[in-house]
Amino acid sequence: MKRYLVQRLLLFVPTLLGALTLVFFFIHLIPGDPIEVMLGETASAADKEDLRHALALDEPIFVQYASFLGALARGDLGRSLYEQGAVTEIIRARLPATFELTLGAMVLAVLGSFPLAILAALNRRSWIDRVALLLSLLGLSMPNFWLGPLLMIIFSIHLGWLPVSGRGGFSHLLLPSLTLGLGMAAILTRILRASLLQVAGEDYVQTARAKGLGESWVWLKHTLRNALLPVITIVSLQLGGLLAGAIITETIFSWPGIGRLTVQAIQTRDYPLVQGCVLTLAVSYLVINFVTDICYRLADPRITYGK
Amino acid sequence: MILLSGGCRFPGSSDHPPGYLVVGIESNPLELDPRYATDANSVRIDALIYNSLLRADDRLRLRPELASEWKMTDERTYVFELRQHVKFHNGKALTARDVKYTYESMLDPRNHSPKRPLLRALEAVDALDTYRVRFRLSVPHAPFPEQFTIGIVPARSNGIETPGAEIPPGSGPFMLDTIDPGERITLKANPSYWEEKTPLAGIIFKIVPDAMVRALEFKKGTIDFLQNDLEPDMLPWLKKNTDAEFDAHEGTTFQYIGVNLNHPILKHREVRQAIALAIDRDSIIRHLLKGFATPASGLLSPIHWAYNGSVPQWSFNPEKAKRLLDHAGYPDPDGPGPLPRFRISFKTTNLDLRKRIAEALKEQLARVGIELEIRTYEWGTFYSDIKNGNFHLYSLAWVGVMDPDIYYQMFHSASIPPNGDNRGHYSNPELDRLLEQGRRTTDAAARKAVYVQVQRILADELPYIPLWWVKNVTVQNAAIKGFVPYPDGDLISLKKVSLQNRLP
Repeated sequence: MKRYLVQRLLLFVPTLLGALTLVFFFIHLIPGDPIEVMLGETASAADKEDLRHALALDEPIFVQYASFLGALARGDLGRSLYEQGAVTEIIRARLPATFELTLGAMVLAVLGSFPLAILAALNRRSWIDRVALLLSLLGLSMPNFWLGPLLMIIFSIHLGWLPVSGRGGFSHLLLPSLTLGLGMAAILTRILRASLLQVAGEDYVQTARAKGLGESWVWLKHTLRNALLPVITIVSLQLGGLLAGAIITETIFSWPGIGRLTVQAIQTRDYPLVQGCVLTLAVSYLVINFVTDICYRLADPRITYGK
Repeated sequence: MILLSGGCRFPGSSDHPPGYLVVGIESNPLELDPRYATDANSVRIDALIYNSLLRADDRLRLRPELASEWKMTDERTYVFELRQHVKFHNGKALTARDVKYTYESMLDPRNHSPKRPLLRALEAVDALDTYRVRFRLSVPHAPFPEQFTIGIVPARSNGIETPGAEIPPGSGPFMLDTIDPGERITLKANPSYWEEKTPLAGIIFKIVPDAMVRALEFKKGTIDFLQNDLEPDMLPWLKKNTDAEFDAHEGTTFQYIGVNLNHPILKHREVRQAIALAIDRDSIIRHLLKGFATPASGLLSPIHWAYNGSVPQWSFNPEKAKRLLDHAGYPDPDGPGPLPRFRISFKTTNLDLRKRIAEALKEQLARVGIELEIRTYEWGTFYSDIKNGNFHLYSLAWVGVMDPDIYYQMFHSASIPPNGDNRGHYSNPELDRLLEQGRRTTDAAARKAVYVQVQRILADELPYIPLWWVKNVTVQNAAIKGFVPYPDGDLISLKKVSLQNRLP
């Protein structure tokens, strides 16, 4: 396992390099010029060339790419073209907000889906099962840009319980987490329910019952644990998706996270900041996948990795 | 989860501390240092943090601010007498040396200030004594006084700097307290302001990107004040559901259709006039803009000192438009049938309202036989296309128009890109001559006469097809007293605003 994990870690390098290379060339090749945005309407051609030269944006693109990689190797992501300060500092200021929102969404999704899925599986084809399936269908069908404002109108305006938007304490976190987490909760409910039902029919579960173990022990120790494997996969895939997909939720809820920062950076053609944001998202994705591998093993000790 | 948030704050007081006014804005200000600030949010916030030598009043006339007196000693020289006892927020006295430093740091090419091109005519700034400063220009340049509205920052020993590395203190009624990127900018009252102290404890600029959410925050009472940045559709809802005070007042933002004059069809003046006649501005303003605009005859609005009202007007007249198109040699091949006279593209941004306006224009032009092909783009791509002359027709707005010399940048043949913003490649020797004259003429009445002629020529030639002047809409909590709207959307009068019996 140790060797496998080391191999996985080494794979990070080419994956990140690939992602960064793609982003570097895409952002430089799409139309739009940061110099125009920075200098505004009145600049002369000479002023623009001057600034282009100072920022080394007049170098051939491959030279720019090489110096970008060189700086990256030294841990330097450059300075944002508009925002004040170094890219690493700007991202560091925004990253906790996105982590907080993503984790909030995941916690709500797990807390909501697990009991529902277990109840549904235990009472298959009952009304509980049907309600659970209906709820998960609803959760899957509601887009964030619609659900967010709906929740705001109900909980912030009519009931007055929670703030409308912005980041603050726990009360600020509830609505955006719910908005972001509902889709994930819906998927988890469906997967876990199906997985539980499948495992419940396995021979070893029957054997456990035959051994005379209590029903709740059978569910907890033999069924749930084995049913978790596909769920872990989904959680890890979704978590990466949540990080990157928080853009809409962050915009609606005025959440100062990295999703909004990425959009703003792309709009203003802030090349260094776009690259920094993508690098951060790619690293998060890889780390999540890495942790998932470890979780697999904890959930199922039979899983081995390579030789 | 809570641990990760790093110093979690709890709601309540921090959201809306007593005595603070909360202003909702759409996006993060990009650069607050007044020597580099160009985006609207930064410029408006800066007006509260920094003082400038002069400042435009609510009729866009320049009035002394840091200057106690100023005069033009000859056509190329301006001398300012500074107010004494003005202090920066760090306690240092503001003197002629700081004024000199502020302007010289913008002129230094190493600092790459976007304001440097505007200061091209500036030859030298001399501190004559502690409170007297002289600006010398290389040539008479009548629009120059507008540059005296740039915020003054304290002198530093070292001239070169990294832009935005540190936001310098100002001397204005408010001082910068905290910046929470993407969340809010907090200003607190300057207790030792040289003018009368502001009644507010401070102002929070809360960044709320979504227009509907800004309206909901207002309804909830967590935002006290909004100016513009509202979807017209939200206003009726706010009117019905809150006891807010609404105000719509004439503004200077000019929305227009830009025309590529190198286009084989659009280069004909009659075609441009026909397009202008085919647009039913009143209907678009009534239905899509909910009345928050005024049909425009040109760039300068009636508020402006150089406005000329007696120019050709192109009110909605589709029949006349058809006749002009026939006359220009573009007859409708099948009359009211489906075939158009010709087809041109229209570029705009992908904002919802912009798309709906484009669709209305398409319908209206179709009625006179012109087929408009709408192309919407994300802002960066759109702007790049416009800058590069890659368009037939496009729609954009000029914001914050002050000095009429802006015509030079728009329509002088020397301003054809890459040297200016004459993106449609308009070229007219007579207009060139007038614009050069307007630049040199420092006498106000003579100068106005020049721009009266400029407006007449442009209204006839239509290198831009005027659409409307956008009104400034303010939505404010009933507790706010004393706000004075400015035509360019300036928020400086927030320094005099008080909050009376604000509801919890």
